[in-house]
Amino acid sequence: MICDMPRRNPGRERPQRRKSARHENTRHGGTFRCVGCRLDVPMSAPGTAHRNHCPNCLTSLHVDHRVPGDRRAGCRGRMAALSVSVRPDGEWLIIHLCQSCGGLSANRIAGDDNARALLSIAVRPLSDPRLPVSALLLTI
Amino acid sequence: MSTNSKSRSITNTETFPCVRCGLTVTATAPDGARRNHCPSCLHSQHVLDRVEGGPSECRSRMIPISIAVLRTGEWMIIHRCTRCGELTSNPICGDDNQLILMRMAVRPLAQPPFPLEAFGDL
Repeated sequence: MICDMPRRNPGRERPQRRKSARHENTRHGGTFRCVGCRLDVPMSAPGTAHRNHCPNCLTSLHVDHRVPGDRRAGCRGRMAALSVSVRPDGEWLIIHLCQSCGGLSANRIAGDDNARALLSIAVRPLSDPRLPVSALLLTI
Repeated sequence: MSTNSKSRSITNTETFPCVRCGLTVTATAPDGARRNHCPSCLHSQHVLDRVEGGPSECRSRMIPISIAVLRTGEWMIIHRCTRCGELTSNPICGDDNQLILMRMAVRPLAQPPFPLEAFGDL
């Protein structure tokens, strides 16, 4: 499987934000159901302690307000993966856009996220026919 | 209304200095839209609060972190505030630095978390 391959650029470890919400003892038994593809997803994820999106379709739910994990958003709209950003240490982030209120959020990808879905978002600007190719030629 | 806005765009000579590179930028883009980031370095300033909808008191520098393509084909720049971490998205202007735009667009593929060779036969 693609997801099980070793990372090419592991980089250095970056400490994660302390986790305030605990999901093991909730009535869902530590899982959530994806609002996009209805997949039952366990909260525990390889590579991250802050899974907030479905590893299959990358859809998330708008439950946090300003601080990740605060659960103070009254929106609860579906958040679709909008784009991919890269941290200076090489970590990928998914930028989610709320389909109901237009809010944005960023979350680190997990180790079991769908590589094909991630790549299709990442190449979206490059597959645009109006791509500024002249800028690329300048760099050569 | 259209003639009014057109004449305003011609006579509007308002400028702002870029918070990162110091370039003096006209507040109006060539297409008449209001500009919110520097066309040279694409950095912005956190003056609007996205969550609450009013003016923001943060006023810190906002770094362009990503390019997003909407369903309409429009390119958006995702900015993140260096102080409070707020994310905003703004449409690109015609005179934005295409080199930086392209650099941001190819950045994920330059540092992939998985080997891209596996996608060669797809």
